[in-house]
Amino acid sequence: MLYYGVFWLTIGLVNIVVQNLWFGTDLTTAFLSAFPFFALYPILGASIWFIIKYNSLEEKDLYWVLLYHLIAGSLLNAIWLYLGFIFIKLVDESYLQILYDSLPNKIFSGYVMYTIYVMFFYTINYYQSLKEKIQKEAELKALIREAELNALKSQINPHFLFNSLNSIASLTLSAPEKAQEMVINLSRFMRYSLQHDQDEAVSLADELENIKLYLSIEKVRFGKKLNPVFDIEEGCHRCQIPNMILQPLFENAIKYGVYEATSPVSITTTCRIKEKHILICIENDYDPEAIRNRGEGIGLQNIRQRLSLIYGSADLLKLTDNKTSFKVELLLPKTIPA
Amino acid sequence: MKQTLKALIIEDEELARNLLKSYLKDHPSLELIGECENGFEGVQKINELKPDVVFLDIQMPKITGFEMLELLDHKPEIIFTTAYDQYAIKAFDYNAQDYLLKPFSKERLLKAIDKVQERIDKGERSTNRLEQLNTYAVEEYLDRIVVKDRHKINIIPVDQVRYIESLDDYVLIYTQDGRHMKQKTMKYFESNLNPRDFIRIHRSYIVHIEDMAEIQQYEKESYVVILKDKTKLKVSKTGYKKIKESLHF
Repeated sequence: MLYYGVFWLTIGLVNIVVQNLWFGTDLTTAFLSAFPFFALYPILGASIWFIIKYNSLEEKDLYWVLLYHLIAGSLLNAIWLYLGFIFIKLVDESYLQILYDSLPNKIFSGYVMYTIYVMFFYTINYYQSLKEKIQKEAELKALIREAELNALKSQINPHFLFNSLNSIASLTLSAPEKAQEMVINLSRFMRYSLQHDQDEAVSLADELENIKLYLSIEKVRFGKKLNPVFDIEEGCHRCQIPNMILQPLFENAIKYGVYEATSPVSITTTCRIKEKHILICIENDYDPEAIRNRGEGIGLQNIRQRLSLIYGSADLLKLTDNKTSFKVELLLPKTIPA
Repeated sequence: MKQTLKALIIEDEELARNLLKSYLKDHPSLELIGECENGFEGVQKINELKPDVVFLDIQMPKITGFEMLELLDHKPEIIFTTAYDQYAIKAFDYNAQDYLLKPFSKERLLKAIDKVQERIDKGERSTNRLEQLNTYAVEEYLDRIVVKDRHKINIIPVDQVRYIESLDDYVLIYTQDGRHMKQKTMKYFESNLNPRDFIRIHRSYIVHIEDMAEIQQYEKESYVVILKDKTKLKVSKTGYKKIKESLHF
């Protein structure tokens, strides 16, 4: 903004000086002829910025944009000429004649200036959004990295991994075929995130398949204490969701719900289509007497950040604590914006 | 002659219990007298059955293995069994006989039992050693304190503690609904409660900052803290300095 003012002030002053020294125009005339172009128009022209901000070339039809600019340009031109007229009248009425003589010229140069401004601002706007986009992509990449890392960490989370291995050790003695099944499930679960670490989007079906694997492994450990319930509406399965966004939520449900409980805990997952959105709801019971710091962990923060970067909206994740159960709701658009 | 060891398993996961049981099954001089699924049951069974040795998991529902140990009247030999070694140092403070990382082998377990047996045969029972608990800070501040009042186990979130008073070998923990006695040192609480929330204002008192209403001078260089419920507590010189530092006045 400051640069903009300084720029036009300098150009205006240079113009006056040149007119005065080169063409011998007296200072008043030089000032009066320079003022509308280098002071008045830049002030009005600043508003063009807002015009183009709401008329980005990518989002609207080209004809509409052209029509819009024609109207806006004409309006601006009229205001400009009128203000110029008032200004000259205030300073020295005798110059009005010069204005009348050059009116067609002025109108024409008004449109030329409008066009130059618009093109200039579009360039700046384009440059800015490009920069923003690059930055956003970099941020998103960093967050996916972090999610990957968290997913890997949770797999080698000592409680999960070593307790699972201990369960397997126990099963090899009592029920070898179950031990085999668990080793296979554990391998499939660990392989999933290695496979998908490059893709941003996965189908809900794939993601749920992975969650079921995870829960089946935990089910071996926790037995009847863990009771997973799934209620998935037909048609949800094909929806695309960001990868590794569900697993941390289930991990929390296990950590705060099942781990602290002595009686059975249900983890209920429901998916519903809501017009253009898909609503994923994960609810777990928990023991209200178990005192644990329930701060928003790194996992939840990462999910929030990723959702707001991908969908451009910060309130897609909702947490509700009902004192005996904890509910996480994810309301996601059916498709992931490119 | 080898004495038969009475053993108890405290472990929340069934498969882990099964594995332990199958390892112990044909041990010649060890008799399994019971198993518990959580620390509450653990306290009860230990006091009732008085085992010689306890296999104790650390991460369990309700109360942790460590918290359970603090509630015992009868102190058996402890062999910790856990999946994660972040607790190793702490377990050492609690005078654990041994510390087994899951999954462990039968040989490793038998070795641990042999060690315990040797000590018992030599008469080196560590009955009262659990009381000289760790006095230095663990990695995290306490978020709750477990106490036993008669036959009931209470879990007190630290934000409900108003102040702690020392009483010989015990401390009295005052909350909104009364006071609880616990066999711990002031030093322990001083280093394990978050200093942002609690200040040791006197040899005998640790106060929850949130519950302080006023600090009054009643003589030259001596002060009392008045709590929100009008309880007055003496402040020592160093205590006053600490209050000043922490409240920035």
